[in-house]
Amino acid sequence: MKKFLLSSYPDGLSRRWAGSIYEAIQELGTWAWRVGSCLGLLGISVEAATIEGRVSLPKVRVAPVINQRYEIIATGGVLGTNPPLAVVYLEGKFAGAATPAVVQMIQREMAFVPALLPVRIGTKVEFPNLDPGFHNIFSFSLAKRFDLGRYRSDEKPVPSQVFDALGLVTLRCDIHEHMRALVLVLDTPYFTITDEEGSFRLIDLPAGAFTLKVWLDSKTIRERPVVLVRDTARRMDFP
Amino acid sequence: MSWIRFILVFLGGWPLAFGSDEFSDRLEQLLTVSTRDGRLRGRMSGTLEIESYAMQLPAPGLLYSESAFLTAPRWNVFLDVQMGAEFYFFAQVRADRGFDPGAAGAQVRLDEYALRFTPWRDSRLNVQVGRFATAVGNWGARHGAWSNPFITAPLPYENLTGMWDTEAVPLSRVLLLWSHVYPGSQGKETLAEKFQRVPIIWGPSYTTGILVAGELGRWRYAGELKLGSLASRPDAWMHGLEEWTHPTVSGRLGYRPNQMWNLGVSASAGPYLRDFATVNFKTGVGRGDFEQRVVAADVTFGWHQWQMWSEVFASRFCIPKIGDVDTVSYYSEVKYKLTPQWFLAGRWNQQLFSTILDRGVATKWGADVWRIDFSPGYRFSAYTQLKFQYSLQHGDSACRDFTRTLAAQLTLRF
Repeated sequence: MKKFLLSSYPDGLSRRWAGSIYEAIQELGTWAWRVGSCLGLLGISVEAATIEGRVSLPKVRVAPVINQRYEIIATGGVLGTNPPLAVVYLEGKFAGAATPAVVQMIQREMAFVPALLPVRIGTKVEFPNLDPGFHNIFSFSLAKRFDLGRYRSDEKPVPSQVFDALGLVTLRCDIHEHMRALVLVLDTPYFTITDEEGSFRLIDLPAGAFTLKVWLDSKTIRERPVVLVRDTARRMDFP
Repeated sequence: MSWIRFILVFLGGWPLAFGSDEFSDRLEQLLTVSTRDGRLRGRMSGTLEIESYAMQLPAPGLLYSESAFLTAPRWNVFLDVQMGAEFYFFAQVRADRGFDPGAAGAQVRLDEYALRFTPWRDSRLNVQVGRFATAVGNWGARHGAWSNPFITAPLPYENLTGMWDTEAVPLSRVLLLWSHVYPGSQGKETLAEKFQRVPIIWGPSYTTGILVAGELGRWRYAGELKLGSLASRPDAWMHGLEEWTHPTVSGRLGYRPNQMWNLGVSASAGPYLRDFATVNFKTGVGRGDFEQRVVAADVTFGWHQWQMWSEVFASRFCIPKIGDVDTVSYYSEVKYKLTPQWFLAGRWNQQLFSTILDRGVATKWGADVWRIDFSPGYRFSAYTQLKFQYSLQHGDSACRDFTRTLAAQLTLRF
């Protein structure tokens, strides 16, 4: 990772100098974060940092084709699928982060909604089925291997899984082969998904030196170092 | 690259070779095309199936082999095209050693093709024209190697009765001889003879025809007009090889009380005799008199890791001037997923035959059969699956009381 960061500095600046400057910025950021934390503990109100920017997204994916060969009755000839989106997240060490919330990924009109779900490690994801027929969610991904089986829409508790290992989990349906979704399990509470234009806004960030990462697909992750100071907003684009 | 990896890649076993579904996911995207607005979309997909059988001769069911060991590879290629919400086209091309596993040479066939029109989005009406699986029963919707936990079909779909479709039964004694149940003459069934016999319903029955189907609330209906009867063999499914003079009419009415249960009743009527078998008929008897009439009921259940299917078929073969002969066959099948990758399945099948009068003596026109199938399966990935099947059958074969068959099937899909 360090190699990537150093090589991204402008020409003419030696790797050694670049490394020293980077470390100095990191140190500065750490101190800024400590000062901010102390002010917070003293009850002095400070605003958290914000990053906003834009990511160049890949071309629009081709929508899936539903196999209806032996399922004569299948609603939805044209499926709306999520266009390509990116996950933007802040990576670093975060003290005292809250317990992950419970989030949902629904099945509606024979599609997962949302089709891309970033979660913090340890998050419980519920999978309500809002379709009149069965679905059978499963994953063979190394980060999370499970098979929920077939369950009724009105069953309680709603079937769920706790995502307790970092990585990308591909969700599929054993009944409808076109259904696909991704769960990106991250080790950070600070993440967001871009909109369809690639714009994003990360708010309530702590001060300090971190790495801002952009996940585009399983093989494409972009990253840039960032030092955050409280009560400031930064713009970072990923062209 | 090691030889093992080379062989796996050669066979199309990329998920096994590389231990990842990502390659297959990307291939799937590569084989999907679409117009800019997404209204016209097409996808090519398929499976590569390699199945092997170790069996006691004569080969049971729809296996055509004079050897105790048979390997039958098959390459299926599917094309699915969606044109808006109104039109859907699909086709299936197969390269294998015959429609049913056998020792024949390689052949390539267009087994299925159909165009479906759905005028309303709520699926109250669908009209489909082409060559496609029958709407009767519930096995047709899950007969593919990937979704079917077993390698062979249930008994009603593959147990050959003594009835021929190539020649009309001239005497009741002849039918008993064809069925190998004539008292005192229990000869061994030959492979040549096997090509004459028909089951109650021949596999998925990809017969040419037209289908009208829809969903109204919890009810589903389907009615089809097809070229051949449910018992007709693959040779008779194609337009051009059979005439439309005596189409088969079939229908199914389904009810779904909730997501777990699917219930259905079906009926079908049409001639089982091939067109060419009627050439020497005397006046007063026609092809339409040799009718197969079927009534059936099916039930499907699913909940958590359990799935269950059951069907019962009652079939009557009408034989002018001799009488009608009946047979009833049913099966119950259960599948349980032990883990995300392992599953177990069991199936109980039975077929019973009615009697026919031969010189004043009522004799069963077929040997009652029961069979139990057991199948463990494992999914290496979302695209690779290995299944085994052990079957123990009682009856049918004149050579022994019990017939055992062991089968294995590797399925790779893309």
